[in-house]
Amino acid sequence: MQEAKREATFDALVVGGGIAGCEAALNIANNGYTVLLVEKDLSIGGKMILLSKVFPTLDCGACITTPKVSEIARHTNINIFTGSEVKNISLNGKHKFKASVLKNPRYVIEEDCTGCQLCEEACPVNVPDQYQYGMVGRKAAYIPFTIASPRVAAIDIENCTLCGACERVCPTKCIDFTQEKEVWAVSVKTVILATGFHLFDPLRMPRYGFGSYKNVITSMQMERHLAPTRPFHTVLRPGDGKLPDRIAYVLCTGSRDASVGNPICSQICCMYSIKQAQLLMGALPMADVTIYYIDIRAFGKGFNEFYEQAIGMGVNFIKGKIGKITEKENGNLILRYEDVSSGKLQEAEHDLVVLSVGVLPNQDSQIFFSDRSLQEDAHHFIRQPDSLLNPAKTSIEGVFVAGTATGPMDIPDSILSAGAASAEAISYIIQS
Amino acid sequence: MNASDKKNAKILVFSTDKISDPAIDMAGLLKLYYPVKVYTIAIPCSSAVKSRWIMHAYEKGFDGVFIAADGSDCPYDESCTEKTGLIVAKTQELMKQKDMDPARLRMSAVCSVCSEAFVRQMKSFNEYLSKSA
Amino acid sequence: MSKRIGVYICRCGGNISDYVDVDKVKGAIEKEKDVVLTKTTMFACADANQKEMEKDIQENDLDDVIVASCSPKLHLTTFRAVTVRAGLNKFNYYHANIREQVSWAHSDDKPGATENAIRVVKAAIAKMRHAKPLKPIKIHSKKAVAVLGAGVAGMRAAIALAAMDCEVYLIERNHFVGGHTAQWEELFNSEETGKNVISRLFHELLLYKNITIYTGAQVIENAGHIGDFMLKVRVEPAYIDEIPDPLEIKKAIEVCPVEVPDSFNFNLTQRKAIYRNNPEEFPEKTVIDIKNCTRCGECEKVCKSINFSQKEKIITLHAGTVLFATGFDPYTPRENEFGYSRISNVITLPQFMRLIALCDKKLIYKGKEVNKIAYVYCVGSRQPDGENKYCSRYCCTAAIFTSINVRKKYRNIANYHFTRGVRTYGKQEVYYNESLRMGDVYLQSFDHELPVVYQKGNKTLVKINDILTEQRELELEADLVVLVTSMVPREDQSTASLFKLPKGRDKFLKEIHMKLRPVETVIDGITIAGTCQGPMNIAESVNSSLSASAKAFSYISKGELELEPIVASINKNLCSWCNACYEACPFDAINKVDEGSKSYAVINNSICKGCGMCLPVCPYDAIELITYSNREIEEMIDMLAKD
Repeated sequence: MQEAKREATFDALVVGGGIAGCEAALNIANNGYTVLLVEKDLSIGGKMILLSKVFPTLDCGACITTPKVSEIARHTNINIFTGSEVKNISLNGKHKFKASVLKNPRYVIEEDCTGCQLCEEACPVNVPDQYQYGMVGRKAAYIPFTIASPRVAAIDIENCTLCGACERVCPTKCIDFTQEKEVWAVSVKTVILATGFHLFDPLRMPRYGFGSYKNVITSMQMERHLAPTRPFHTVLRPGDGKLPDRIAYVLCTGSRDASVGNPICSQICCMYSIKQAQLLMGALPMADVTIYYIDIRAFGKGFNEFYEQAIGMGVNFIKGKIGKITEKENGNLILRYEDVSSGKLQEAEHDLVVLSVGVLPNQDSQIFFSDRSLQEDAHHFIRQPDSLLNPAKTSIEGVFVAGTATGPMDIPDSILSAGAASAEAISYIIQS
Repeated sequence: MNASDKKNAKILVFSTDKISDPAIDMAGLLKLYYPVKVYTIAIPCSSAVKSRWIMHAYEKGFDGVFIAADGSDCPYDESCTEKTGLIVAKTQELMKQKDMDPARLRMSAVCSVCSEAFVRQMKSFNEYLSKSA
Repeated sequence: MSKRIGVYICRCGGNISDYVDVDKVKGAIEKEKDVVLTKTTMFACADANQKEMEKDIQENDLDDVIVASCSPKLHLTTFRAVTVRAGLNKFNYYHANIREQVSWAHSDDKPGATENAIRVVKAAIAKMRHAKPLKPIKIHSKKAVAVLGAGVAGMRAAIALAAMDCEVYLIERNHFVGGHTAQWEELFNSEETGKNVISRLFHELLLYKNITIYTGAQVIENAGHIGDFMLKVRVEPAYIDEIPDPLEIKKAIEVCPVEVPDSFNFNLTQRKAIYRNNPEEFPEKTVIDIKNCTRCGECEKVCKSINFSQKEKIITLHAGTVLFATGFDPYTPRENEFGYSRISNVITLPQFMRLIALCDKKLIYKGKEVNKIAYVYCVGSRQPDGENKYCSRYCCTAAIFTSINVRKKYRNIANYHFTRGVRTYGKQEVYYNESLRMGDVYLQSFDHELPVVYQKGNKTLVKINDILTEQRELELEADLVVLVTSMVPREDQSTASLFKLPKGRDKFLKEIHMKLRPVETVIDGITIAGTCQGPMNIAESVNSSLSASAKAFSYISKGELELEPIVASINKNLCSWCNACYEACPFDAINKVDEGSKSYAVINNSICKGCGMCLPVCPYDAIELITYSNREIEEMIDMLAKD
């Protein structure tokens, strides 16, 4: 495929369009500087836009993300490349960065798509929906999710059979299979890395049975069950579609666990599990919810009060690490654990198990700098050489970092860290 | 009043943009239910309520009027509590002249996180108004 | 006059439509006079809907737009922006709250909630019939920032703002900068000590000509508003002339007969009434603690630079915005709380940290060597009975980190941790792991059955019902008991009160919204940073301080600000100057104008804040607040009351 060459100049490049990248881009743009925001996904908003409600205030994730996202989408100082990847960033002297950005074709003319979804209806291909964490299917011609930004269709070319059904039904004729990859050479004065994190993949812990036991799901899947744009209109057991009534949370799945190479605490799992437990008590008033934990880390503003509230609502908290999960014939699950309060090995039966998966580094930004000058810390997050006084600085002058790219963080902390990165970037631009 | 209205008096609340209205919002957020015929008009400060607005509300059929005052949290001035109090006194005087029960006007400071206090106030006011009707 | 009004009713993905029948609401208002367009929408705030609204406004030639959805605190500005993009004035937009105050507040009564929502929307329509386009009031904003508090957050903010070319006034209540950070030695996640960090910040501050540091200074008066806050600052003198002879000063300190507990060492040691606490404290100056000085004159005899004739100064500063970084107080345990102030070898974590700094080879407390140390966690936080329900966030890691350092610095140390569940979140877990590897003992109490510290003979004992060892009751004799104390809000909140900053349930200063606007307060132009907002460690304080700097900069970077045109307006035909409104106005925004034989009141629009306090006091009902006129309010009441 031919690669077209384009050039552009901005004051700042922000890599990653999650909540941290969005916040940083907005701060910079609101002070009068131009920003290119590059997001590899089809929508900006990151993981936050997919969340149900957020702790500890329980406002809905979408309600907080969407105003920011749409403010960015309309900002005259911000350009957004979705479905795009930063390939390389090189330094040509102080305040002079050259970035090479690959814009992947969407095969849809963004400006013309009205988001009518007729192409979705017409498309005959069905594949698992990554935005619903595989719980339902989607088409190869699809709008990523209801509140995506931009809310326009895309063609999943890997799975597309090129049958042409979508082209025939599109009322604005915006499907265009001739689109090609574009490579942009972008000149900027400063760079913010907001590349976010990966969730731990529980397939790496076979003893919990994820992937083979149908009623063992991840916390992100539960998040989708509870979200306003959820796939089903209630919380269901994936195994048989029954309403669950004995739900277990397994905290520290992939965190505080040297055996999977991640000794640190993920900082968010206790709280999001407590939040989900509270939402479940509302959605399924008859259900029992039990949280198996090592320590409850309710440390932030309003968090401990939120934890106490969950206890008050009747969520069970059991201090004990789950050793092994086995599946019964009816799809129920037996959890084996050492109950700290009795010191004895115990077993408990649940009909749905949620693995509270941890936060792992996204090492994508390592490849941006061909000279390998971007340093990592011991846990493979981006290193902060002066973490106390200049938490947004990286090992490269003029390159700043925001959000979970430096380590596990909750949403308020990510937003503050994005604020810090933008303050540094603004002064760096002013000094140029 | 018909049977279902007996339970719920019609109450007009004057709330304030920065202090008491956020508390009323939070009452909803925390699902602390309060009587369903409570209606809110938000204004910048509780010392801005005119007696004629309150009297107008009674004329048009409201059973009670509640001023969710800024109290000592007023972002404008500490004289707020006193000034809102004067408005209440003046209006209650007008009510007495018209043979109306002055207790149909209530005022209480509602801080920006006083959701529970607000809901308690609404419940007790509603009870009072439903009984006296 | 007839208008063309468009109304959107949001389902909010079920948050509204699960309880309010939005189609019924739509049906009920479609036929209202002036309403020419009515729609329901899944997420009114979604990008696609915003686009659709813009198109609708233009295609239908709408005069006014109403969205009935969540609280205006969340999305008023979002939708005002939509109407502006479509060519309308933002005051032709109204945001009706049918979520927080209807669907969520009444989800126990769906028909009732629907009825309520209908009236709320009808009232909105009644109000918008009178809406007029309004122009903002433009004011000059001074490119200067007052930063209150020169701890790590305030100092870092000052540097960030100076680097963005702002004039910065850094105002510190104490005579020295650095806050609590200056008191710490080793810091977690860092190779530097607290002193190093403060020294680095201080020397960087000095590089900026646009930063002025005021120490011993406190804001005592605040007037003005965003764009131009006028601050009166009282600066206490040091009673010592600039650049004194170092030998003479040394002597002056020696001869001073007054000794007071040294707060720098949390009262573990004494200092003189003329003092400089610490060799690395900045600015490097000596001061006289005038409150404790007896004026005996001994210092004057040995030092020419002592000058008791120095007077406190009141200076006036103008700043476009104010950044609060006023910090925290360490929690002081109550009398006999875990034996504090009753049992001699019970101290707080901050005291312990200073003790380590003061003890070189051996850890000595009150003349005795310390080997066995018991740490009691959550003192002043997560109180089952007390007021402080919050977790203080930094203390678990601070205690564990300190206990590791104690082991490294001294010999034969045994650490026993009486926790309530260890909260070393994130990468701080590494310290907990290290501590466990070193062989520290961790015990955990039940949340409602806290450990007890008591004396038996001359022994100090800690007793716990430990949930980690099959709920056995354990007792330990300790040489020293360290109470891991929390961060609490500053006891002296006078400056925050001066600015009328609101506080949260935990009594720390409150942000507008933890996620949407985490460093802004409801008072326009005032941001908050660091531990005045809640417990944080140093890195977290600095993140928040840089965040607040970016926000503060956005208020003043353009040199001009637009203020809301919601001001009072006086009908001069009805007014005959009685003074009542002038008396009621807290901002001196009302002036008397004489015109021939007639006198009347006028409003100064750039001072008026639109509070409306002048409205009800007017005996002639001559004053209206723009957008809250009698007609608007009364017609809203008509709609809310209608059966």
